Amino acid sequence: MAQASHELDVRPILRSGGEPFSAIMQAVSGLSAGQALRLLATFEPVPLYGVLGKKGFDHAAREIGGGDWEVLFTPKVGVLAGPPTPGGAAASRWPEPVSQLDNRDLDPPEPMVRTLAAVEELQPGEVLCALLCREPVFLLPELGKRGFEWLGGFEADGTTYKLLVRKAAQREAAE
Amino acid sequence: MFGASLSRWTMSYFAAALAALLGAEVLMVAGVGFPSQPVTAPQTLVLVHLVAIGWLSLLISGALIQFVPVLVTKPLAHPELPAVALALLTAGLGSLLLGFLGMAGFSVSAMPWLPLGAIGLASGFALNLWNLGRTLWSARPIALPARFVAAGLLSLVGVVTLGTIFSLTLGGWMTNAAFLRLTSEAIPLHAALGLGGWLTFTAMGVSYRLLAMFMLAPEAEHRTSRIAFAAGAVAILVVLIGGPVCLLIFGQGVIHPLLAAFALALVSIALYGHDIVRLYRTRKRPRIELNARVVAWALGALGLAALLLLAVTALGPTDRDIGGVVFLFVFGWLTGLGLAKLYKIVAFLTWLECYGGLLGKRPTPRVQDLVNEPRAMPWFSLYFAGVGVASLAAFLGAHLVFRCAAFAMLIATAKICFELVLTRNLAAVPEAMLPNGHRVRLRLHLPIL
Repeated sequence: MAQASHELDVRPILRSGGEPFSAIMQAVSGLSAGQALRLLATFEPVPLYGVLGKKGFDHAAREIGGGDWEVLFTPKVGVLAGPPTPGGAAASRWPEPVSQLDNRDLDPPEPMVRTLAAVEELQPGEVLCALLCREPVFLLPELGKRGFEWLGGFEADGTTYKLLVRKAAQREAAE
Repeated sequence: MFGASLSRWTMSYFAAALAALLGAEVLMVAGVGFPSQPVTAPQTLVLVHLVAIGWLSLLISGALIQFVPVLVTKPLAHPELPAVALALLTAGLGSLLLGFLGMAGFSVSAMPWLPLGAIGLASGFALNLWNLGRTLWSARPIALPARFVAAGLLSLVGVVTLGTIFSLTLGGWMTNAAFLRLTSEAIPLHAALGLGGWLTFTAMGVSYRLLAMFMLAPEAEHRTSRIAFAAGAVAILVVLIGGPVCLLIFGQGVIHPLLAAFALALVSIALYGHDIVRLYRTRKRPRIELNARVVAWALGALGLAALLLLAVTALGPTDRDIGGVVFLFVFGWLTGLGLAKLYKIVAFLTWLECYGGLLGKRPTPRVQDLVNEPRAMPWFSLYFAGVGVASLAAFLGAHLVFRCAAFAMLIATAKICFELVLTRNLAAVPEAMLPNGHRVRLRLHLPIL
């Protein structure tokens, strides 16, 4: 399932004063289904987030020293391989998460406890994002029982499990 | 991927298994079976099968019903089938033991106990095999820990097939020459497949995942783990296919396939030990819990038993040597691992059962608040001390010392069982933190009804 990401280093183009946008778009269209793009740039390419977000990519950025940035763009559909959600809601229609939980270093079952405590705080329609170090097999049925929608899957690195949980809007919840 | 739910019948398997373990320890204290009697005596068969089927196989079956869905993140194919299987297995085991008692000269009525036992056990195991096999099949391709379990289940097929042939032949229902040959010479294959393939290989697979989970160690698949799997799986195939082929087609004994399988098993165990040491070293959790500490002792017993088997094989083994090694293997490694893991699993499942629906909605205790590790630890120490002394006494043929050590094991096991009962009843949880504000009624056997 963990497909190697395609790496694109646009630092030489940027350093020579060039514009890497077309090279990036070309690389994106050349990705196979579910494949991620690892982009190396000399600054954080914030404008790209919106553009590639519309094309269905999530992003994770980190500074790699010397002012350079590494951004991993992962396709939402391929990465978030959850079950069909009730009400036909697709992840692309979900709003940005209102909060992020990093539960990767907690002793089990603390990740489950913290995630359930956090989702109870959600307002209708809001989304929570939780990072875990393994697939939360006991948490998922509990979310289902409580009427939450969820989507989850391993990130391209194969070690971080990203879980999105949404509280249904009131109209949907009443249905 | 819908996650995993609590298995409704796992706790019933655990309760029946622990009852069988206590029963077997009482028999050992009373001087029934090896080492007070010969390894091949019918009384020893009673003891061996009470431990191997009643305690260990029910324990592993109950654990697999819960953890195979966790390993493959698919629900169990038939959630209610384990109840039927448990009824068949306990009835089958009872009949088998009565059959052995009949062989020992006790008057146990004229029923065909051995064949009836074989039918009950074969159908019970077949139902669980079908259920777990379908669950694993639906989740292909499966990860390495689940592949260990699949190979263990294949081994179980061999154990049950051979056991059924023995019982039907000894019960006089079959007189086929091939079956007679198997019954007289394939008992070492039956034992190797049961203790090595089914019980040990399965436990190895599950422990890869459980130890990593509870110690917060990275779960990356290493080459050593893949070789450990390949060597063990080939060892199982050598015994499963090579053994009967040597015996029935080439007309030889079973010693060559057994030696080849033993060599492969040593490679598998050595690499597994290496992997587990790495898990302990790379864990993120600084202080490890009782279960992980006690598992380290069980792993030590596994290593020691493997080395002793190597030594006695080289020196030309006697029945007493083999009995002593098997005792250390069964009570130090498998039983030690089983009791340690039960201590954690019972607490975790009880916590999930009682508090799963309340998490995040109100303050709840932690899993660790359901147990009292400082109180339980001395009993685990006593248990392992008893196993050490009893193993030595078995090697030396010191029957009285063996029975005294078995008594220490019995007391320690009973105390550990009592701790599990307290955990199930949330005895350590303060009044204000109880799920409904009051103590739940006793639900030791049927947890989720």
